[in-house]
Amino acid sequence: MATYAEMQEIYDDIRSDFRYDHELNGCLNCGICTATCPSAQFYDYSPREIVQLLWTGNVEQIYDAMQEKIWACAQCMTCAARCPFKNSPGGLVMIMREVAIKHGMQSAKDVLRPFGRVMLKLITTGNQLSPDMIQPDHFPDWGPNIQKVEGDLKTLRKAIPVKTLQTTDTAWEVSLKTSVEMYTIWEMTGVMDALETMDENLFDVIEDFIDEKRDDYEDWLEEQEDDD
Amino acid sequence: MADQTPGNHNMHGEGAGAGTMKPGFHNTDGQGVAGHGSFFQQTNLSAEEATQATEWVRKHVDRRTVDLGERMDDIREHMWELEKDGQIIVHRITDDHEPVDVQTLFGWNKRVPTKQLWHHKSCGQCGNIPGYPTSLMWFMNKFGFVPGKDYLDETDQTSCTAWNYHGSGIGNVESLAAVFLRNFHQAYVSGQKHGHEAGHFFPLVHCGTSFGNYKEIRKYLVESSELREKVTKILGKLGRLVDGKLVIPEEVIHYSEWVHVMRNRIASELQTVDVSNVRVTMHAACHYYKMVHEDAIYDPTVLGGNRTAVGSSMAQALGAQLIDYSTWYDCCGFGFRHIISEREFTRSFTMDRKIKVAKQEANADVMLGIDTGCITTMDKNQWIGKSHEQDFSVPIMADVQFAALACGADPFKIVQLQWHASPCEELVEKMGISWTEAKNNFETYLKEVEAGNIEYLYNPELALGGKA
Repeated sequence: MATYAEMQEIYDDIRSDFRYDHELNGCLNCGICTATCPSAQFYDYSPREIVQLLWTGNVEQIYDAMQEKIWACAQCMTCAARCPFKNSPGGLVMIMREVAIKHGMQSAKDVLRPFGRVMLKLITTGNQLSPDMIQPDHFPDWGPNIQKVEGDLKTLRKAIPVKTLQTTDTAWEVSLKTSVEMYTIWEMTGVMDALETMDENLFDVIEDFIDEKRDDYEDWLEEQEDDD
Repeated sequence: MADQTPGNHNMHGEGAGAGTMKPGFHNTDGQGVAGHGSFFQQTNLSAEEATQATEWVRKHVDRRTVDLGERMDDIREHMWELEKDGQIIVHRITDDHEPVDVQTLFGWNKRVPTKQLWHHKSCGQCGNIPGYPTSLMWFMNKFGFVPGKDYLDETDQTSCTAWNYHGSGIGNVESLAAVFLRNFHQAYVSGQKHGHEAGHFFPLVHCGTSFGNYKEIRKYLVESSELREKVTKILGKLGRLVDGKLVIPEEVIHYSEWVHVMRNRIASELQTVDVSNVRVTMHAACHYYKMVHEDAIYDPTVLGGNRTAVGSSMAQALGAQLIDYSTWYDCCGFGFRHIISEREFTRSFTMDRKIKVAKQEANADVMLGIDTGCITTMDKNQWIGKSHEQDFSVPIMADVQFAALACGADPFKIVQLQWHASPCEELVEKMGISWTEAKNNFETYLKEVEAGNIEYLYNPELALGGKA
């Protein structure tokens, strides 16, 4: 359990995000946001509550809401489209999630653990889900009709009449140069630091992958120079 | 006859004259508008005079022409100012892009380029629903577009990374902005390799979340000099500044907007299949019209202008029956993280609020979408409903896939329906196309593919920087 001072620091971090004043303009407790919220139908979650907690600066309950509630939001932004005050509860939730990660909250680590495989794919390739991740044995609840033509994945992907899509381990073929540029973005914007805070093992795996890709890119550049 | 459709109440002013009573005017005695007391006097105006006299009311209540004053800022105006100050370069839509003007929610103008487009692909579509981008490119070829000149698809693009951001919170405004500017800079300069000027290709964003995210980020970039300063350093390091400046696009364009402005040409020039017997329900992606909602297209001729027009307009143009349902505005249940690690939420919501409703209320033959996540969610989560005694199924596909079918595209080679889990075969058969025959042909084609004889929509070298 965090001390009051730590909870206050978390609240201050939320409030100091430059988007905060965009996303929170006032609240009459009308509840339109919660009435339209898909997550409110299935979880102990209410966008109205999130807005009210922030609006009234209740640091202890804000901290409490950051344990589980903020992770229920589906990020559809229906709340933002409907709010008469032009608040964005979904946007506020994103700020709170970022702050939860910055502070290495255990709840964030727990919630994100099953997401690790996707994170690995995203950070190393810039793609979210690849065809080889969407196989019937990974998603038994999607049923037996998940693919209407039997066949080897490679061949089926080759039968897509667009060159960039004939891949199995990325959604489309991403050039090495593009990936290397993306790694620079991750590093310069603190994304790698956030990842290290959340999951050190995953961070190590990704770091190794990035080093390897950078070496490949250097080799490729040298080859180009030699060709010239 | 006044148009009395919902959302279009009595727009010609009929009923305001003496003794008339029309729906929307709740008089009880046929003598004018009720509730005004004994001092009420009839105007005895003709219908035309009444229309004229009440013009200002309609002007002010119609949200598409409402004067927003300072309540809503058009970010594009600030963008032009920044360019004038020499701080950014705006990637312009020129006459060469053959733009079509449309109106957005508040009646603002948006220019949608129809040619010289850079395909900004979607990770969810390419990985999971490849018939989405292939149908789009197929249409471009059908219109005689020349790959490498009128459109470009290449490997130098990352995803917007917003799926991950919205799902996990790993990422931040700075990283999203840097990715946005990197990809759009690439779009700006991509033509040079093919003998064109900078700015030749304008980005066409396939994904709804990329579209919403990029517009949100563009807004922050224009508003925050601090953010611009931070990302300028990053883009500088990547060699992705032009004359030391960031490149920001005049508009962010979603593929469904291209389909929307091309819909009448698609229907009149290319349609070969009668779809008047097909009952269509529409699911518009939340991130298309709920994020930066002032930028979504609304059209008074589509659903009374009360709902975003994209997708629905394509179905209408093809002559399909566009059927309403009570949960139209609801999200699909995708949830970004939820579809991967909290699937019980995703499948329960999509079944309860989308699939069941589309079937029970609209008896839909198909549910059309315009985005990656929605189509995946609704397409893949029907079978599991059986375990909860919710045995409902509806074919799910994108507007552009449905349109391609209606224009004679091969259901497998082009529309790539083999990747869909929902019963798309039922729709194909209803459209008078033999699923079995198409499947047999495709299975024969797969043998050709194995032998290396692959059919392409454009020369594959083009994707890798080669010539068309």
